[in-house]
Amino acid sequence: MKRLKGDNYNIHNEILGRITFRKHIVGKSKYIYACKGFPNITAGYLATITESSLAQISSPIVCNVEEFSYLNEGDVVTINSDNGISVLYEKKSNHNSIMLTELCNHRCIMCPQPPISKENERTEFNLKLISLFDKKTKSIAITGGEPTLIGDKLFTVIRHIKKELPNTSISILSNGVKFADRDYAKKLELCSHFDLQVDIPLFSDIDSEHNRIVGAKTFFKTIEGLYNLALFNQNIGIRIVIHKQTYKRLPQLAEFIYRNFPFVCHVAFMQMETTGLAAKNIEELWIDPYDYNSELKDAVFKLARYGMNVSIFNAQLCVLPVELRQYAKQSISDWKDIFLDECNDCSSKLVCAGFFSSSKEIHSNHIKKTT
Amino acid sequence: MENKTYTILPFRFERFNEDEYLITNEVGEFLFVKTNEFNCFVNNELDTQSDVFLDLKSKQIVTDTEIEPVIKMLATKYRTKKSILRDFTSLHMIVPTLRCNSSCIYCQVSRKDLNDHQVDMNKKTARNTVKIIFQSPSPYIKIEFQGGDPSTFFEMVQYIIEEAEWKNLFEKKVLEFVICTNITLLTPTMVKYLKKHKCVISTSLDGPKDLHNKNRPLQNTEFTFDIFEENLEMIRGLMGKDSVSALMTTSVYSLGRFKEIIDEYVRLGFHDIFLRSLNPYGFAKRDENKIAYPLDDFLKNYKEGLDYIIEINRKGTYFVEGYAALLLKRILTPFATGFVDLQSPSGVGISCAMYDYNGNVYVSDEARMMARVNNHYFKMGNVNENSYQDMFNGELLHKVIESSCTECLPACAECVYQPFCGADPVRNYSEQGSIVGYRPTNETCRKNKFIMNYLLVLIKKNDPEINSIFWSWITKRTVIEN
Repeated sequence: MKRLKGDNYNIHNEILGRITFRKHIVGKSKYIYACKGFPNITAGYLATITESSLAQISSPIVCNVEEFSYLNEGDVVTINSDNGISVLYEKKSNHNSIMLTELCNHRCIMCPQPPISKENERTEFNLKLISLFDKKTKSIAITGGEPTLIGDKLFTVIRHIKKELPNTSISILSNGVKFADRDYAKKLELCSHFDLQVDIPLFSDIDSEHNRIVGAKTFFKTIEGLYNLALFNQNIGIRIVIHKQTYKRLPQLAEFIYRNFPFVCHVAFMQMETTGLAAKNIEELWIDPYDYNSELKDAVFKLARYGMNVSIFNAQLCVLPVELRQYAKQSISDWKDIFLDECNDCSSKLVCAGFFSSSKEIHSNHIKKTT
Repeated sequence: MENKTYTILPFRFERFNEDEYLITNEVGEFLFVKTNEFNCFVNNELDTQSDVFLDLKSKQIVTDTEIEPVIKMLATKYRTKKSILRDFTSLHMIVPTLRCNSSCIYCQVSRKDLNDHQVDMNKKTARNTVKIIFQSPSPYIKIEFQGGDPSTFFEMVQYIIEEAEWKNLFEKKVLEFVICTNITLLTPTMVKYLKKHKCVISTSLDGPKDLHNKNRPLQNTEFTFDIFEENLEMIRGLMGKDSVSALMTTSVYSLGRFKEIIDEYVRLGFHDIFLRSLNPYGFAKRDENKIAYPLDDFLKNYKEGLDYIIEINRKGTYFVEGYAALLLKRILTPFATGFVDLQSPSGVGISCAMYDYNGNVYVSDEARMMARVNNHYFKMGNVNENSYQDMFNGELLHKVIESSCTECLPACAECVYQPFCGADPVRNYSEQGSIVGYRPTNETCRKNKFIMNYLLVLIKKNDPEINSIFWSWITKRTVIEN
């Protein structure tokens, strides 16, 4: 989630609204007026945000907004009494997501967003948020934490998306454990969404390895979840984060997936994001992505030969062997996608995934411009 | 007490070469392990952190943690491997007539002359045949016209097609037609009819001109091959490039000439070949001493042929050996294959059935070939006399199926190739006098084991190019380069 810095005034409760640059718009009460210069009109809007400094205005306002140009008509932001603006939805982005909860029943050693232990109920807020999204939104990712931990409210959210955004596809990022409950999986089917995929991480073909990485004894629950979702004809993706503790058995894992879950419609191998717990545990996790190319290549080509849909996420093209580049996807959310100085004259920059902003310090030693 | 650190789950094994064992399990997972590792494994001495242990564990051959969820995974895979059983009989072969204009030297069905109308099916039998076929619970129905040559009685082919289509208006199954013909009698009008009714053509091609003419001469002409080639072009022009598939049969004259045969298939634009040995039925059985050959000769030729086909693929031409492709799918994928001869329980009756011109129903094509020499052991009944229940839930089929599960057949039960192989009770009966058969002298067994062994040798090489070629055969797609 992108944060823009600014100075907040007159804000007592959290304000959630859609950005507009238009002075006159129908239904002002849903909008936050964004004005580069000094705002003349503020009446009727939820709040006003501006690049200029404070004038005598008694309505909610954020002044001195940095990176003002980051915002676009139709983006959705929240403002509260803390200084700054949180951008929750970017109309131009293909990577919008809603976080259903920050709670999680896993404690993955490389978690980029470490879970919290207590939180306030977010579903009401999320339903409002979804209603503000642009109707033409192509896809939304439902994430967490572990989104199934909110129980049946997950289905409330899905149905709400279906109603508000009937043409938007949904990707749920879940560890799959909760779907071991067949009734719960059945309820997902009953939502009968036209384009919904559950993406489930699986880190090893060996139960004890997977369990150690996720910090819970849930390997077989996840597998049961995969079976149940398949039973109810749900689209399933499998995600594998590659680090020092997972890279060695990638080829065996690929075979394991094909032999046991040939029904999955996508397998994604992901370069690790080095933030959160991954940063904390970096000593135990870091391997230069260049150094696992041979295992990755073996695994990707196995799956491709099997006829499975396989991708590589978050990888820089220059680090990958030429023959693997066709599988690489631009998968990093826009707000945290960066490039290094070395990338400046690279001819592949426009088609490269780039880096997580957290990779500025830690990244492969094999970054070089491609010609 | 022994210090047991892991539990071994059911598996089969065999020494594969001087220093390796092949291990397989019930669901077709397989692994090669070194002799010393194998010994450690079975003696519970394997280090549970070693690569070989993890590989065995990954394939559900051993576990050092939980057992029950692993069994559940095996059960799921087993269901997938046996999913073919879910639908029951889907391939229904009909003989509209036994008349034929060919006089193949190895005719396995003991064809009759062109003017012998006694071997034509009548309309009542045809109607009853279609009625019985549509009582199969399978949502997929494939009707395959066999002969004789069904083109010699095309009116009956049309009658059956239309009768089936009419019936299917109500049944709404996935209905397909195949006609097995030498194509020499097909006229453009017939071909247009087949196209309209989406009936695909399966023909026979034994190799280059001289060999084809020697094995499969037409009656009263020396231009068999020329007529074949001309008609093939005519059919492709009307129905499309891939409308005709071909099968070859190996006679004694074909031995030593597999490369030429394969080249001929490529030249004529076919994308696959099925290198078949002679089935010892009909005239092939009668004239065994003239046209048959020792199995080892076939196997040697098959191996050379397969190697040659792999070379062709390496050079960039997509060309499949059908039998290898079937076995590879059984070895390398978690899926089931529909091929009747490689099922356990055997596919006879429960995957396929054969309806003869006189209404007799047999468990398979080979079963009616046997009937031609007056052995009616595998006759389930007659469409004009028996009900569907009588035949498909009859004592005969129960008995045959019960005795054709490789999981519990003598020798098969312990065989490392069991998960990839299948039972052939009809061949066992005709060759060895019992549906169970006797493996040590069983030629089908020897043939399958030889071919599977060779395929595993090739798989074990882990040559990226061969891997890609094999997978392109399995997935019917172009080669994925790496």
